[in-house]
Amino acid sequence: MTGPAPVLALDHITKRFAGHVAVDGLSLTVAPGVIYGLLGPNGAGKTTAIRVIMNIFAPDRGTVLLFGRPGTGHDHSARIGFLPEERGLYPKMRVLDVLVFLAETKGVDRRTARARAGEWLDRLGLGDWRQRKVSDLSKGMQQKVQFISAVLHDPDLIVLDEPFAGLDPVNAEVLRDTVLDLKRRGKTVLFSTHVMEHAEKLCDQLCIIAKGRKLVDGSLAQVKQTRGGRHVVLAFDGSQGAADHVFADRRLVGKVEDFGQYAELELAAGADPQEILRRLVESGARLSRFEIAAPSLHKVFVDLVGPDAAQATARPVGETARA
Amino acid sequence: MRKVLAVIRREFVERVRTKWFWVGTFLGPLLLVGIIGLQIFLATRSGGERRVAVVDRSTTGFGARAAEELERAVPRFRFVGALALRGDYDSLTQAVIAKELDGFLIIGDSTLERGSAEYRGSNASSLTDMETIQRALGRVVFATRLERSGIDPALVREAEVRVNLATLKITGSKLTTETGEQAFGLAFGMAIVLYMAIILYGVAVMSSVLEEKTTRIVEVLVSSLRPFQLMLGKVVGAGAVGLVQLGVWATSFLLLTANQRRIVGLLGSDSAGSGFQLPQVSAATFLVFLTYFLLGYFLYAAIFAAVGAMSSSEQEARQVQAPVTFILVVPYVSFFGILNDPHGGIATWMSLFPLFSPIAAPVRWAASPIPFPQLAASLIILLATVIGVTWAASRIYRVGILMTGKRPTFKEIVRWVRVG
Repeated sequence: MTGPAPVLALDHITKRFAGHVAVDGLSLTVAPGVIYGLLGPNGAGKTTAIRVIMNIFAPDRGTVLLFGRPGTGHDHSARIGFLPEERGLYPKMRVLDVLVFLAETKGVDRRTARARAGEWLDRLGLGDWRQRKVSDLSKGMQQKVQFISAVLHDPDLIVLDEPFAGLDPVNAEVLRDTVLDLKRRGKTVLFSTHVMEHAEKLCDQLCIIAKGRKLVDGSLAQVKQTRGGRHVVLAFDGSQGAADHVFADRRLVGKVEDFGQYAELELAAGADPQEILRRLVESGARLSRFEIAAPSLHKVFVDLVGPDAAQATARPVGETARA
Repeated sequence: MRKVLAVIRREFVERVRTKWFWVGTFLGPLLLVGIIGLQIFLATRSGGERRVAVVDRSTTGFGARAAEELERAVPRFRFVGALALRGDYDSLTQAVIAKELDGFLIIGDSTLERGSAEYRGSNASSLTDMETIQRALGRVVFATRLERSGIDPALVREAEVRVNLATLKITGSKLTTETGEQAFGLAFGMAIVLYMAIILYGVAVMSSVLEEKTTRIVEVLVSSLRPFQLMLGKVVGAGAVGLVQLGVWATSFLLLTANQRRIVGLLGSDSAGSGFQLPQVSAATFLVFLTYFLLGYFLYAAIFAAVGAMSSSEQEARQVQAPVTFILVVPYVSFFGILNDPHGGIATWMSLFPLFSPIAAPVRWAASPIPFPQLAASLIILLATVIGVTWAASRIYRVGILMTGKRPTFKEIVRWVRVG
């Protein structure tokens, strides 16, 4: 193996629930110091995979290596921080007390936990709330508190399940900066999301899964290359004109993602981008952007999982752990 | 270990911080004082005057004589005129309904011959009233029959003496100053406190487990702690709260005992100490009580933790909790049976059976010391059960806390225990 030993390695993980395979032979490796995105549509098995990593579920098959050693979850709990998908804090406890307690369960002593919790609360703008009950906080604030609980013990690997869900743009920004800061300090971050904009801006490495299976993984650039082809990104300035007719011309355009004011085109084989530009201008469209570019992650994602994502996979009723 | 301590501390501190803890802790002794005060109040002011009409249906005029004798013998009762009514009880019944009378006593020839009489009244359900009348009438019949057989009335009066039975308990080989009533009171108090404390704190563990499960915080916790550590911390933490509360109660109880005369005086009773005596608690009794409380608590707390883990809502947990609580009710309601014959089959069997012994054994002990081999056997069986149940409960807990959706069937639970 080249490069530094991976922080996390999943080897053919399979997890079944009654008559339903949530994760099917998933393998991936996360190198130290990267931000790794686990992407997939709803019900793809992201949360199940994370729960297996965190030892909440035991896999039916396959192995998990953390920091190069076997054993999951609490064997390395002091080195791992975890933000679960279903948030939960003790509603009647005070904010500072919850944080200190959760840090203590990770082996941090009280005094250190207190000091660090105070720092983090100040940093995320919750300094005035430390003595308030958790139930007094808004959902977004509770989520920030829970994020603090995931990083308070200064873990080397931080696992965040849908960290941006429920955050307003300002707080999402704060969280993104914090994650980038963790990376600068040499930490490894694994996070799941189905919002590609977040992933595209943050991820060094990523893995797209659907129906429990891996579709593609690697660096952002590698993943984009797998889709090959030439792409044109364009934005309209008010009027689309008769752009529909241009997009419909199969000699020029292979696939279209039309957002109204923004569109992404995959060029047909042998087509000339300049020809498209000319035709668009002729059609009366006013353009503010015309760029020959790599496809966006969103485009890659939709191409890969589009057919699957449309038919939502039902979550099994009465999941039982280890059963 | 430090992680377990953190769980214990959280469980303890968060519980002690609630206002219900303080209400319970300080209202408990107040309630105790209140109950005792009420008893003294009822004992010293037992009912007030009763007006009873005596209906003489005898042919010998015995009823009239009995009425005079009763009037003299029972100060609290006014036995008004022997009305020579024949069959007309309706007007008397009306008088009882109108509260002019408490009741009427019907005396006939058969009273003297066969010792049968009849009482009808609004206070017929009062055991003390009925016993007073029965005893007084019995004495009159007794004296009259003796006189009829030619014995001098003076001699009869001379022979009449009321016996007061003082009951003292023998503990081990020595005579104590403890009276029978005190032993009863002690056993009763222990049964109530044990029953309440085990249920109260057991259910506290259950709702704590449920809280972590429903808020999903358990997902974070099991990624840092082993489920067994979590359950252990919970059970010990809630148990520590229970011990503190019991400690406060025990201290106030001891203070009560020490200052009993003063308190009785404060409650306005002149006959200090004659009405109700608080029992003395020996060190051995205290130790037995504490040991069974702890083991009983651990046993039921583990069961309740498992119940909490296998349920997914408060309502669901309540349904499963009911049968568990019912098991504990059995020794509680067998209280009189155990006291009546503390060395009989029921008492012995119950103080050995581990699900009953946490309450049954201390109650039995309070009535009469349990022979050492039996006590040792009871404790060993209980301890073994505690270990076994905790083991099984922790396995159910481990699977249950992460499970969502419908409640598992009994078969599934058995599989969780076997497979873990």
